[in-house]
Amino acid sequence: MALTLLPLTFLLPLAGCLILSLGYRHLGERASAAVGYTSVGLAALVTVFIVIDFLSGDRTPQSLTLWTWVSVDNFRPTIGLMLDGLSVTMLGVITGVGFLIHLFAAWYMRGEEGITRFYAYMNLFVFSMVLLVLGDNLLLLFLGWEGVGLCSYLLIGYYYEHTANGMAAFKAFVVTRIGDIFLAIGLFLLFTELGTLDIATILDKAPALWHRGNPIAEAAALLLLGGALGKSAQLPLHTWLADAMAGPTPVSALIHAATMVTAGVYLIARMHGLYDLAPTAQYIVGVIGALTLLMAGFAALAQTDIKRILAYSTMSQIGYMFLALGVGAYSAAIFHLMIHAFFKALLFLSAGAVIISCHHEQEMARLGGLWRKLPLAYAGFLIGGAALAALPLVTAGFYSKDEILWEAFAAKQNGLLAAGLVGALLTSLYTLRLIIGTFHGEQGSDKARHADPGKGLQHGLPLVVLMVLSTFIGAALTPPLADVLPAGPGEGVEAGHTALEMMASATAIGGGLIAGWLFLFRRAWLKRVVARGPGAWLWQFWHRAWGFDALFDWLLVRPYHVLVRWLQGDLIDALFLIPATVVRLFNAGLVRTQTGRLRTYATSMVLGAALLLLALAMGY
Amino acid sequence: MILVWLILIPFIGGLFCWRAERWGDKVPRWIALATMLLVLVTTLVLWWQGDYHLPKTGTPEAVRWAIEWHVPWIPRFGIDIHLAMDGLSLILIALTGFLGVLAVVCSWKEIAQRVGFFHLNLLFILGGVVGVFLSIDLFLFFCFWEMMLVPMYFLIALWGHSGSAGKTRIRTAIKFFIYTQASGLLMLVAILALVFAHHANTGVYTFSYLELLGTSMSEPFAYWLMLGFFIAFAVKLPVVPLHGWLPDAHAQAPTAGSVDLAGILLKTAAYGMLRFCLPLFPEASQAFAPVAMALGVVGIFYGALLAAGQQDVKRLIAYTSISHMGFVLIGIFAGTSIALQGVIVLMVAHAFSAAGLFILSGQLYERLHTRDMRLMGGLWGRIDKLPAFTLCFVAASLGMPGTANFIGEFLVLFGTFPVAPVVTVLASVSMVLAVLYSLLIMQRVHFGPAQGEVHFSGLDWREYTMMLGLVALVIFFGFYPQILVDTTLSVTDEVHQLFTSGSVGAAIQSLAGVR
Amino acid sequence: MLTRTDMMALTPVILVCATAITVMLGIAWRRQHAVTVLVSALGLNTALLSLFLFGELGTVRTPMLVFDSVTILGMGMILVSSLACATFSHAYLDGFPGAREEFYLLLLCAAAGGMVLTAADHLATLFFGLELLSMPLYGMLAYTFRDRNSLEAGIKYLVLSATATAFLLFGMALLYAQTGHLDIPGLVAGMSSGVGPWALAGVGLVLVGLCFKLSIIPFHLWTPDVYQGGPGPAVTFLATASKVAAFIVLLRIVEAIPAFHGAQAQTLLAALALLTMLAGNLLALLQANLKRLLGYSSIAHFGYLMVAIVVADKLAVETSGIYLITYLITTLGAFGVVTLLSSPYGGEDASALHYYRGLFWRRPYLAAVLTVAMLSLAGIPFTAGFIGKFYIIALGVEAQRWWLVAGIVVGSAIGLYYYLRVTITLYLMEPGMQRRDAPNDWGLRAGGLVVLLLAVLMILMGVYPSPVVHWMSLLSLAGS
Repeated sequence: MALTLLPLTFLLPLAGCLILSLGYRHLGERASAAVGYTSVGLAALVTVFIVIDFLSGDRTPQSLTLWTWVSVDNFRPTIGLMLDGLSVTMLGVITGVGFLIHLFAAWYMRGEEGITRFYAYMNLFVFSMVLLVLGDNLLLLFLGWEGVGLCSYLLIGYYYEHTANGMAAFKAFVVTRIGDIFLAIGLFLLFTELGTLDIATILDKAPALWHRGNPIAEAAALLLLGGALGKSAQLPLHTWLADAMAGPTPVSALIHAATMVTAGVYLIARMHGLYDLAPTAQYIVGVIGALTLLMAGFAALAQTDIKRILAYSTMSQIGYMFLALGVGAYSAAIFHLMIHAFFKALLFLSAGAVIISCHHEQEMARLGGLWRKLPLAYAGFLIGGAALAALPLVTAGFYSKDEILWEAFAAKQNGLLAAGLVGALLTSLYTLRLIIGTFHGEQGSDKARHADPGKGLQHGLPLVVLMVLSTFIGAALTPPLADVLPAGPGEGVEAGHTALEMMASATAIGGGLIAGWLFLFRRAWLKRVVARGPGAWLWQFWHRAWGFDALFDWLLVRPYHVLVRWLQGDLIDALFLIPATVVRLFNAGLVRTQTGRLRTYATSMVLGAALLLLALAMGY
Repeated sequence: MILVWLILIPFIGGLFCWRAERWGDKVPRWIALATMLLVLVTTLVLWWQGDYHLPKTGTPEAVRWAIEWHVPWIPRFGIDIHLAMDGLSLILIALTGFLGVLAVVCSWKEIAQRVGFFHLNLLFILGGVVGVFLSIDLFLFFCFWEMMLVPMYFLIALWGHSGSAGKTRIRTAIKFFIYTQASGLLMLVAILALVFAHHANTGVYTFSYLELLGTSMSEPFAYWLMLGFFIAFAVKLPVVPLHGWLPDAHAQAPTAGSVDLAGILLKTAAYGMLRFCLPLFPEASQAFAPVAMALGVVGIFYGALLAAGQQDVKRLIAYTSISHMGFVLIGIFAGTSIALQGVIVLMVAHAFSAAGLFILSGQLYERLHTRDMRLMGGLWGRIDKLPAFTLCFVAASLGMPGTANFIGEFLVLFGTFPVAPVVTVLASVSMVLAVLYSLLIMQRVHFGPAQGEVHFSGLDWREYTMMLGLVALVIFFGFYPQILVDTTLSVTDEVHQLFTSGSVGAAIQSLAGVR
Repeated sequence: MLTRTDMMALTPVILVCATAITVMLGIAWRRQHAVTVLVSALGLNTALLSLFLFGELGTVRTPMLVFDSVTILGMGMILVSSLACATFSHAYLDGFPGAREEFYLLLLCAAAGGMVLTAADHLATLFFGLELLSMPLYGMLAYTFRDRNSLEAGIKYLVLSATATAFLLFGMALLYAQTGHLDIPGLVAGMSSGVGPWALAGVGLVLVGLCFKLSIIPFHLWTPDVYQGGPGPAVTFLATASKVAAFIVLLRIVEAIPAFHGAQAQTLLAALALLTMLAGNLLALLQANLKRLLGYSSIAHFGYLMVAIVVADKLAVETSGIYLITYLITTLGAFGVVTLLSSPYGGEDASALHYYRGLFWRRPYLAAVLTVAMLSLAGIPFTAGFIGKFYIIALGVEAQRWWLVAGIVVGSAIGLYYYLRVTITLYLMEPGMQRRDAPNDWGLRAGGLVVLLLAVLMILMGVYPSPVVHWMSLLSLAGS
């Protein structure tokens, strides 16, 4: 039963998208918004039904093949859906959180030009994202994968008249596409080696074909990782995410925090069997996660735009997920993915509430002192921030992040564990900096002084629901992953767990205390430190997120532009001017012989005859 | 006989169009539209009725073709009027019919002068193309191959746009003609050499494709002949460095001309390679494959880089065609079933997406009277649905999954990977470049600050229907390409068998040589 | 003694000569343009008919002349081209203020000379035919002598032709000196033991003489000037009948005489062919005068035809036949259009390309004829020219003369440029251009009908060549 309803989860958003794009002339603002969120809402309802049905059943993976996509030789990818614990979890996050964000957007986008377009893209995004997680083969997954990329591009560049937004969208698409190349090549490799793209079959066949550490398995795992890095904004393909904040805030919440950017995590978890065969690749996953979470944590410290802070925080949190994947704790990664979706969506929506209330102001220096005026947004920030910083016991983030650290500990990856702990400290620091900077202190501008709090169900309901989900209540939702993903290294081991929990909690709370002290009481000192000398340099360095943009600009972008400019006139085609010129020269030369004078002509005849005779004589 | 009519209908319709001009501008348009619809419907009926799931190779050759028509023409040299249709030609003719309809419809308002003669040329091109796809006699094939250039030449020279400095439309048309005709003569030389080689073996003059298959020749000789064919097709495909005619021709042709050029004329080259180059010279093609694939990769990158540097929308699209045709070349010379199917899907897909983009640039030109992207920008909110359609075709052009282009490109890449992984990897890298040049259209034309306040007229129902139909087809074949595959499977299987047997033969020969 | 068969074989020539005499007497009696044309056409038609009737005789050999299938073909082509020229002249000379009737007299004499030339089996008849062909041509070229260009053309051709004749005569003398024979079989027999130095020099000089007529490079310089200056019908005759006759005789002697079969002579001929096809096309590249351009184009085409001379085997004869026919009808068509648009009392001939601008929109069928002719000259499929080009390339490939094949390919590529330029000019419309026009009823007049017929033939031969191909495949030279 649940299986037959499964297609509705993506068909409903698709229908919404079609209605919006074909009838955009005839739909007003309210109708567009209604179509937009209703379609996703219905999909969420269907999902609820499916989840209940699935959980009440025996939870075995089921699949539904709609039709064979294309069939040549042994290449037979299908349009087939897979329903198991992992996809159910993802589906719930996408449609559930997706619906809340769609609803919130109806408030956020009020009065914007082209809201129909906005909702059409958003629905299309949900469609693609659902296909991504439901696809039972890698090609269908790739379809969703690229589809979400396109929607992300379109939504980042939603305010198309601003060149900067266009460039940010462009950058996002190009950088993620670089990752996609790796994914595509990975697909080619897997298909060539295993003769199938069906995920279940691959996971079945791979262990039989490859032993642990087989170079081909390693290569395939690394190639898939490349794709994941791009989409999930991990080092070194992370540079697009911060710029992607140019899009409307609900987009940042849905795509660049809750769902699309976690697709990489999903991919690796989905292909876990492959990573079990490729220890080196798996270790690299962990290391990249650790490096990213540190890099992004420091970068988040030095941002002034509230959305950019959240963007770096997202990178950092996904770094945690990668770290978990790297130590083989797939379930922990997915659990954190889900919890992160809740609290990060909450944070972004709250940020959105602040931004709209303050008349499109998102620079922290020009906000401040808003906690009285915007109580709901403040609450959202507090709860979401607490979950982000993993405040012990009461927040959902504590349970998910703690599990990751514990798995890292259990896997005896002390380096990764240390990175995770340092990251936790950083998280507390930048979270508090964000909250204090936005809601406390002096109002930085007139816009902040004249903030209008948001009103209405569309504004309030999503925030409240997400707040609830970000607390320990959210953590009670345990995803049914046991049948799909193997147990992590920490499963069934208890020694040292409590100690680690204590340590993590202490880090989070300690970070909070330091941050509170610094940002509440030592502001002036901080300002002086970052104003000049090594402090300023460090600030700039972190503000520019460790200079990766400049590096890539120098390494790739400029050579590309030089090459393009150099080739612009089609040099190879120009080569063909040579024969043309030769022909012309000959023509010019020969035409000169046509003097019109009889004597020339007669002479040429005599000379010609002489030459001809000479030629004959030479042969004689 | 139906095959003869498929060729004749456009020619006859074209003559009617010309004479009908005296009754006003509308009449030729309607006649042309009716003619192309007739071709399209006939082909679709043939598709519907015919059985193209032919038995696999190894069966007698009599059942090879679904429909065949055969009369002697010049008995002196064994030249016949031999028309035959199989899945591959069927699909390409259906495509010709469809793009023919589009070409007529998209020039409804664009062409205001000498309407009758314009449609005469347009229909003559299409008739010639149908002839190319149906001819199985090499002489007849060559005749149509060269003949279709003439009306195209007129189309560009008389109704074209003037290009940038020093590039008049007449020069462009002549360049196009000389490139293709001169390379065609090389093919004629190769055809004749093949015929004489066959004559030397058997004492029989024949230009029949089936009889010339498997003509035994010395290896270097076969290689030269293969090159003769290859160069002719390479110019038309086009393969870098023989591509010079294409950007100019595309940029300066009227919209209908660009649509036909990109949509079908380029496909005749791929068709020629699939039909003639590989099967007639399997060993030589096999030996040449690395070079061809390298050229394909060069083409992909060169086209992509050049496209990014253009200011003229149509030139940009033209260079993207070069890039896409690189994939076709790679797929053809990879020779695996999957890659060959990819080639076919990609041909169809590229026909739709390139036609769509060209028609859209035509519509832009009608409104803005420029093709220079520096003078555009911020058009999104100002031309109704046109930018949204552009987006769809741009997505198709960059190979977005869900479009037929994706299926084509990926089948090619999946099929090539086992044969030539390095080539595949390099070709995959170009996916990023594809994003760069494709999105450039969006970025420069439709996004960015608006240049002026003018709101341009939206798409009328004619333009809207055309675009919607194309988008629907692109997406339909993106999700259900299987009908193409089913129709052409027997053809690609055969090419694949010949190609691989070629490699075995060559391998055996080289082994023997070593011993 | 002449036998009955010989007489029968000679009938066409005799008929043409008789017509010439009739026309002469008619002029003396009373000048009547229309009647003269009618009589000429009648005579030429009768000759053509008799050619068909006596074509069945098989090879007939008289001491001086040989009537084989090639002769028949050559005579047929000369008669057709004379007929076409006569009809064109009628339109062309209609309003000519001077004497009009003598032109036909000259035409008929030249035709008779050409016919003799195609049948020449003896150096004496060769010389006789050549001179009988050339002499009237001087007059024809200078016929509209009030026009400077026409006079210049006539004189240029006269002087240079005389020079060429001098070479030819000297060559014949040398041949005689070496072998003691003037008849071709005798010459062949005389060289059977080896080609002496005099004989070699002799054939070299004969070659010079004939190459001049065919405007093979480097003996081509006169061509554009004469083509441009001469009156349309005269140039038409010069470009068709005269060249066909000279080519056939060249083919005949090259095939027969062993001196041409040595490696050096072969290389020389190939070099001449290559040079001619390339330079002819190169010269025409930017030419803005249609008659001049056609002159260069004819140079190039005889360059291609030289391939047949180089190969000189059975297929070469067949190829020559095909190519000459395609060349003939195409050139007649092209010049026919030019002639129909010109008339001596309207000033200079309509030869500058800009006269033709937008012709299609005024005279669609006339422009279509010229278009087809240009495409045929360029060798585009479904026109006669393509069949010719196909044969020439086939010949080159069969003989594995790859350099010549390459030359044809390159030459054709260059050629496209100017043929297309002419073609497109017909369709361009720009206001304010000077226009030349044919009379409104051109299509109903004889000249117009002939031109249309030629266009139909060009297409027909491109689409359904097999009767002609079959006929040509039966061609053979008597000597072989």
